[in-house]
Amino acid sequence: MRRPLSFLIPLLALAAAALLPLVSGPYPLAVARSVLTYMALAISWDMLLRSGQISFGIAGFFGLGAYAAALSVLRGGMSPILSILFAGVFAGAVALILGLVILRLRAVYFSITTLALAEIFRVIIQNWSDFTGGPEGLVLPKLIFNGESKSLYWLVLAAVVIACAASTMFEKSRIRLALSAIRNNEQSAAASGIGIFKYLLVAFVVSSFIQGIVGGIQLQGYGFASPDAVFDSNYTLLPLAMALLGGIHGTPGPVIGALLLGIAAEFLKLHIPYGHLVVYGIIIVLVILFMPQGLYGLLRSRRHAVAPVAENRVDAGAWGK
Amino acid sequence: MAVKRSTILWAAVVAAAVVLILLWKPTVLVYGVQRAGLYAAVAIPMALVLGIVHIVNLAHGELMMVAAYLAYFVANRLLGLDPFVAMVPVALVMAAFGWLIYKATIKHALKAPELNQLILTFGLAIAFSQIANLAFTSQSFKLSLSYVSASATIGDVSFGVFDFVYVAVAVLLAVGLRLFLQRTRMGKAALAVGQNPRGAAIVGINVDRTYGIIFSIAVGLMGIVGSLFLTKQAIFPGVGGPYTMKSFCLVAMAGVGNIVGVLYCSLALGLSEAVINGIRGYAGWSNIVFFAIIIATILVRSYRERKR
Amino acid sequence: MSTLETRGLTRRFGGLVAVNNVSFSLDRGEILGVIGPNGSGKTTFINLVSGVYLPSSGSIMFKGRDITSDAPHLRARAGIARTFQLIHPLQSLTVRENVMLGFLFSRGMRLRQARVEADTICGSLGLERLDRGVAEITMLETKKMEIARALANNPEILFLDEVMAGLNVDETREMVGLVQSVSRRHNIGVGVVEHVMSVIRDLTHRVIVLENGEIIAAGPYEEVSRNPRVIAAYLGGAA
Repeated sequence: MRRPLSFLIPLLALAAAALLPLVSGPYPLAVARSVLTYMALAISWDMLLRSGQISFGIAGFFGLGAYAAALSVLRGGMSPILSILFAGVFAGAVALILGLVILRLRAVYFSITTLALAEIFRVIIQNWSDFTGGPEGLVLPKLIFNGESKSLYWLVLAAVVIACAASTMFEKSRIRLALSAIRNNEQSAAASGIGIFKYLLVAFVVSSFIQGIVGGIQLQGYGFASPDAVFDSNYTLLPLAMALLGGIHGTPGPVIGALLLGIAAEFLKLHIPYGHLVVYGIIIVLVILFMPQGLYGLLRSRRHAVAPVAENRVDAGAWGK
Repeated sequence: MAVKRSTILWAAVVAAAVVLILLWKPTVLVYGVQRAGLYAAVAIPMALVLGIVHIVNLAHGELMMVAAYLAYFVANRLLGLDPFVAMVPVALVMAAFGWLIYKATIKHALKAPELNQLILTFGLAIAFSQIANLAFTSQSFKLSLSYVSASATIGDVSFGVFDFVYVAVAVLLAVGLRLFLQRTRMGKAALAVGQNPRGAAIVGINVDRTYGIIFSIAVGLMGIVGSLFLTKQAIFPGVGGPYTMKSFCLVAMAGVGNIVGVLYCSLALGLSEAVINGIRGYAGWSNIVFFAIIIATILVRSYRERKR
Repeated sequence: MSTLETRGLTRRFGGLVAVNNVSFSLDRGEILGVIGPNGSGKTTFINLVSGVYLPSSGSIMFKGRDITSDAPHLRARAGIARTFQLIHPLQSLTVRENVMLGFLFSRGMRLRQARVEADTICGSLGLERLDRGVAEITMLETKKMEIARALANNPEILFLDEVMAGLNVDETREMVGLVQSVSRRHNIGVGVVEHVMSVIRDLTHRVIVLENGEIIAAGPYEEVSRNPRVIAAYLGGAA
């Protein structure tokens, strides 16, 4: 509702991001590419979080996308751009089928299941060597755009734009109201005619689609996929920490968080080769304890009440007594 | 009545499986039971925390990792203690550490939504494993102890016996915790808090203190488990992660608050994993069987809960 | 045939029978009181009719259609609305957005139209400053919002679960008038669960009395309130 600024700022940011390759050297560009990759993942994670469901399986759908892209090129002869799209569709389709089952789960049971799924994907790909190349992984004969760094950067930027567009669509449409209502109280939501399962499925499939696309782009950009590389838990950890720090339940938070943490991480990586990720763990802990609304939430808190990660409390002992 | 019938059914299924495995590859049975012992020993402290403090501690496996590093660097390298001796001081240090974690973090998230707690302990898990990474790099460390290769021979089958230590510890933990919860004053208070914190507070139990003590006991037990883990396994910063997930799955399978049930579930999963490992060429798939069975169990349970 | 009918509705939780063989009917325009001591199964009954729980046995007919196993959101769309005893407004949304939900998801309106309709219905209930968060509004406003949220579904049947709880005498009187006018204006059949007997007396055309999940009496309030079994049930409940 904040008039001109509300679209001016994103537009300026996008223009700046798009022009970056023209002014920056190769190293900052590589950093920016990695920041944007995590940014898209952070936004996609937050989109599902708005329904109150926490996914610990970002790396799973990211990795699935990377492999879908690699295999569609190597075994299906697809063009690189098409393979990226295929990666998204494949990850989304898997999420749709699995979601029909696992979206009946709530809270920690859902979260742990997503974590287990990521592990299952990894084990399948690692062991199905004939088709997937096994533990050694797959190598593409050539990179997309012949590995030209500016084009690769713009490709990743395109993924961020897609993620932002989807996220904004969620925010500006009835989907925001549906997901917020589900997060707050499912009984009340259903009493207003909201089909809870349908909206959970939409959020899960769209966020997995984005994760798949990002995975596909990563694969095309580096030309290599192995189970350990693409299912690396950092692809779950970093986006999660970024979204939490920036502020959840909206597009600006993950963007801000990814910028800050992504750049900070590059700096730390240079100085502390082992264990620089400790910063992420500590940030997660501190944010949850002292600033659950995140940085963007702090900026806004004059206008709105504090919103915790999820308002409806589910009793851990609700079943199985 | 229904509970009894299903118990008998399960017992029959397990017995049949055991007989079949014995006929097929007797060593698989041994390794299955040993594996089950390790899983149960790691999972039981988590069951205690979940049953009473109602926190899913995603840093659970990482605490075992911390304990194992403690047993390796401080107890073994510095003081020259065998892990079996080291487990006492390590457990005490870990218990104190647990108390600190509770007071500094968990306590403040108890009133927050469950999902905040989940992310909090996830953050703790990352912090612990990355601190280990920072201090000791991702290199792995292993003790070479002669007694871990002890073996026995029955008929023409020979197998390692050391890992039965895990089974013994798991059973001791389960029985010990049960006695503690049912017989001691502190334990009874903890059970009361676990069932109804508000009611317990009304009858004069210090709920916050009880949570703190139980959490600290559980982390202390991870000191014992971590020391034992070190005897045979290589340790590295990420070694605990998978155990967090497996422990949670076992606890969920057994049902929240059912410590003895963790033993049975571990047995079922340990055996199935050993069976898959025993099939030539399929060892890599054993993890997937574990997770598939567990996801199925969680789903069946949640559906049944809905119907009830 | 009545708008809403249940036949032999029963719900068990383990060994406890929370609702036992309840058959009742409710027509459009009618206001029915559902009373009974604490734990007599009133809220469980509403939960069964609105679909929060599925019945162990028995059936629910709405406008001649069997809806016994329909999901809660489908019943809301079909025309059975409710409020909740432990009010759980959606605290991430503003008052207006809370009310918009029914228009959007039960009636399938577009955002802009739903916003206009929400403003209209809130206006008719005397709710103002709809941009506020639900944490900032008074108890009376919360109750009005709950009713507005229910009405947004365009219900033919509306259940109010202790909607007077927490209100003072004047506010209660205002709410009684509001419920009556809502029922009349929109031709809605209203089921009122309430502990305050004066509210039941002033508001309802007919009353059913539950004890241990069973209907022990039915009829106009004046008649039911003299029924010795009902008096015994309440005294027993109080003792």
